[in-house]
Amino acid sequence: MKKFLGILVTLVLLYILTSIIGDNFLSAYNQEQLLKRTALYGLLAIGVSFVIITGGIDLSIGSVVCLVGCGVPWLITQHQWPPVMAVIAAFLVAMMIGLWHGFLITKVKLQPFVVTLCGLLMYRGATRGFTEDKTQGFGITHSELRELATGKLQLTEQFGLPVPFLLLLIAGAFAWIFLNKTVWGRYLFALGNNEEAARLSGIHTDRMVTLSYVICSSLAALGGLLFILDGNSAQPSDFGNFYELYAIAAAVLGGCSLRGGSGTVIGVVIGAAVMQVLKNMINLADWLKSHLEFLVVGGVLLVAVIADELVKRRVRK
Amino acid sequence: MKIVIITAVFLGTFLFTGCGEKKDQPETYALVPPSVSNFWEICRKGGADAAVELGVEFEFVTPESITDQKVKVEDLLSKGVQGIAIAPGDPANQTGLINDVASRVPLVTVDTDAPESQRKVFIGIDNYEAGWLAGDLVREAAPEGGEVVIFIGNISQLNSRQRRQGLIDNLVGREKDSSRYDVPGEVVKGDRYSILDTLLDGVDAPKAKANAADALTKHQNLSVMVGLFDYNAGQILEELKQANKVGEIQIVSFDEHANTLAGIKEGSIYGTVVQNPYQYGYQAVKMLHRLSEGDHSAIPENGVIEIPARIIKKDHVEEFQRDLETKLAN
Amino acid sequence: MLTAHGIIKSFPGVMALKGVSLEVGRGEVVSLIGENGAGKSTLMKILSGIQNPDEGEVEMEGKSLSAASVTEAQTAGLALIHQELNLADNLSVGANIFLGREPCRFGWIDQKKIRQESAKYLSKVGLKVPPETLLSELSLGQQQLVEIAKALSTRAKIIIMDEPSSSLSQGEVEMLFEVIRELRKGGISVIYISHRLAEVQELSDRVVVFRDGENAGELGPEEMSHEAMVRLMVGRDVSQLYQRTAHDLGETALAVNGLRTQANPYEEVNLELRAGEIVGIAGLVGAGRSEVLEAIFGMTPAVAGKVHSELPKSPREAMAMGLAFVPEDRKAKGLILDLNVEQNTSLASLGENAKGPFVNRSHEVALCEEMTEALAIKTPGPWQKARFLSGGNQQKIILAKWLALSPSVLLLDEPTRGVDIGSKEEIYQLMEKFAREGMAILFVSSELEEIMGMADRVLVMREGRLNGALDRSQFSEQAIMDLATKTQS
Repeated sequence: MKKFLGILVTLVLLYILTSIIGDNFLSAYNQEQLLKRTALYGLLAIGVSFVIITGGIDLSIGSVVCLVGCGVPWLITQHQWPPVMAVIAAFLVAMMIGLWHGFLITKVKLQPFVVTLCGLLMYRGATRGFTEDKTQGFGITHSELRELATGKLQLTEQFGLPVPFLLLLIAGAFAWIFLNKTVWGRYLFALGNNEEAARLSGIHTDRMVTLSYVICSSLAALGGLLFILDGNSAQPSDFGNFYELYAIAAAVLGGCSLRGGSGTVIGVVIGAAVMQVLKNMINLADWLKSHLEFLVVGGVLLVAVIADELVKRRVRK
Repeated sequence: MKIVIITAVFLGTFLFTGCGEKKDQPETYALVPPSVSNFWEICRKGGADAAVELGVEFEFVTPESITDQKVKVEDLLSKGVQGIAIAPGDPANQTGLINDVASRVPLVTVDTDAPESQRKVFIGIDNYEAGWLAGDLVREAAPEGGEVVIFIGNISQLNSRQRRQGLIDNLVGREKDSSRYDVPGEVVKGDRYSILDTLLDGVDAPKAKANAADALTKHQNLSVMVGLFDYNAGQILEELKQANKVGEIQIVSFDEHANTLAGIKEGSIYGTVVQNPYQYGYQAVKMLHRLSEGDHSAIPENGVIEIPARIIKKDHVEEFQRDLETKLAN
Repeated sequence: MLTAHGIIKSFPGVMALKGVSLEVGRGEVVSLIGENGAGKSTLMKILSGIQNPDEGEVEMEGKSLSAASVTEAQTAGLALIHQELNLADNLSVGANIFLGREPCRFGWIDQKKIRQESAKYLSKVGLKVPPETLLSELSLGQQQLVEIAKALSTRAKIIIMDEPSSSLSQGEVEMLFEVIRELRKGGISVIYISHRLAEVQELSDRVVVFRDGENAGELGPEEMSHEAMVRLMVGRDVSQLYQRTAHDLGETALAVNGLRTQANPYEEVNLELRAGEIVGIAGLVGAGRSEVLEAIFGMTPAVAGKVHSELPKSPREAMAMGLAFVPEDRKAKGLILDLNVEQNTSLASLGENAKGPFVNRSHEVALCEEMTEALAIKTPGPWQKARFLSGGNQQKIILAKWLALSPSVLLLDEPTRGVDIGSKEEIYQLMEKFAREGMAILFVSSELEEIMGMADRVLVMREGRLNGALDRSQFSEQAIMDLATKTQS
């Protein structure tokens, strides 16, 4: 609890602040949007937090989102694949990407930053290649499939929980159990803290690191799928641009240290929510110009990280 | 335990959901273009002028990409605007989004249409026809024929793809068919003109300039370079000046970028096809206001308000520019 | 000339210095001795300005240095020569001597002056090499002399040498002593830190002994007997600290054949341990002792050789053979500092005790309780992060982690480095207990006292080779140092 108390307080305060300054903040429509966007980015953030816990980084998330987001409609509409097959193929490719990253990092001993930076360039490049740079989408077809992202679990007449948010809760629960209750979760924390000591304790560190990249890419694929099902239009040249940075920012806000070894799923999800509430605030507050969005988000992130560091330093003393 | 608390916090807030009621203030109408450029600046001016005339608020929101366009539109709905004009970047796939918006507030499309959707009105030109017009300019500029290279921001947007296709189809003398598509990079040959390549820059001006340079290096016998996004011709001209090839190779432009107009004035750009973005913005806000007041009489039968494209060449460029400046000044 | 008084310095989890004092006169060679973790190195870092004391006064010729920076300490005339030399291999001897203080003319480095000046200092330390020589061409002993020349060039009045002889051959040590005596004649003082009591006896005017961050006593030239020094260092008779009882040895527990490590691929190491036996490996720093343990445990797989019937390629494989390894650098390789005591204790046996993919929490809790009690681990609770425990307790957690797997062979690399005397005694008792219960223990140590006190048998390594073995009856500091520094015919 204490690990994410800070960010939880931040979220609650931001939430209250925004509901005061933004007229329509509490409208059902806006709350649904907020939950849906938190869910989409939250899934990516949970994925990257696995990698960050091992002390690694994955910069290719946005490009995997692009690959899946453009690839799935491309397979379905241009090549008439059954949707189920296309989705399975997307996840298989994402897992292969994770395995490939893991192989390069653990066996060839390349740095995660470099490996995934190349991935960032390659997967987007490949997507632009096979789609011939054309915008992908489902048009007005496949609305049943799109329910996965656009559907709602109606709670009241006006308000419903978006399906992606339910998916986030499920994925979050699995991630939480994995990290806190299983042997593998313990191994991830151990090796993120001290890979050499973990290896000396008989842990298959290489396999565990690879697993974290597979999880990260798979969740990026799930995110990419939901993004395209929701948005229905993906330009290969910029679909998912910078999403890895949003995911990393949410993970860091949620208490993951880029040095590895720490992080909580709940904190990361709250971190993703904070980013979305912030953006929402910028949108709703008329005196905040929307092109200042990056400035505000970056500034708040920096303040949060500084505060976190100061608190930790005090605890250490 | 922790999860229970979090869930409680989240769900607790929903109890207040729907409490925020809109306060009394003038109606707000918004216009969402697909990208940022001079062209849309002029359009914004038109919208703003209309809003002043009507005594309403006008908001102009620029997204970073087509994907972001959806986010921006949703943001506007969150804020509670009374009408939205959108220039859809990907109309085929944005039909759902447009319908969703149209079910909540009055909506018109500008510049690019989404004919399948439930939009009330489309205000703009036919991009295929406009591209065809640019083809006419090329024919005038290089009546002997020759090699042509096309420069464009992207062709993932339907309007830019059609614009390019209209140009190509005109030059190689095909029947008009706006659903045709030639893959960039493949040479399209007609009797007199052959289109060697289409270079994309992702709406990135420095990249556009580099593309022009690449084309000059690769193709030694170019007759005409056509820039189909507003900044393209200016970038091509810069490169031609540096390569000392002004006059040797003709430039045909699209839209009324300041550099384009300056180029036409000094004679280094042959001509440009202009739309009337000012009118797009102006008419869109006027239309949205009437719709929001419940006045549906202004909707034309076919749902299209066409604002025709024009050709601007050296002879009347100054007059055109003066007109533009007066519009932008106040 | 130099006085340090009432120096207190603490680090998270440890109080390294609890109010120590040290005085040095002009032209005096003072030896500072004490066991690992007694606080010698910390005091030296404080004197040379690398760290500042929490409390206490440092004065040099009447000027306070309590909050001095490295540069200020240097200007005052203090120079520290680290155990691992701080020289740039790729530069010339002259450039090294003036590194960071290059004499300049018109903004260019004055190479001529560097040559002339370095030659002067080099002759003072009796090193006959031209200043243009690349440092990497010199032997370790010669490099040490370059460090001293560098210290002299800063006009040092007191030179602190931290374990200067730990990687030198006998001849080089002689050369070093010659230089130190010359310095003393020239009025320059030396603080000499060493584990080699014989050297200390031969060289110093006075011996200061530290124990557990406190002054344990001082000895003048006449009182410097080996026994007296050890008694002050250990705080009691050695026989009390190292309690070994005779017991019968069992079958062969560890057989290493033809092991060639990556560090020394041309030397074969063969050794055998029987159940219940404790064997020590002695040798100079860099003799390849740790490398042998790391190869046996599969941490840095050997080039060739067999442990029992195969070559372990990873720690996992070695563990399957019943091996366990406590590394020298416990913070970097032994512990997960940010996991708690419980999680560190269960780490190695976690998979074995798991329920499906899930951690068996009840087993984990029980294991930690059992180990905390059995090894007398002092922690406020199982939730405490390993980072916040003292060195001795950290070391016990690593032992606990392995005991959970009931290994048949325990490999220990410097098991008591940085551990206070009380924990040291406990670790020795545990080693004795494990051996009595039939475990074979192979340990590397740089402390001759420890080696002679705990081992049934000592293997001495020199330059990657096992240079000889001694039985308990043959143990002496001289015999071990001879094997560590001289080639055996």
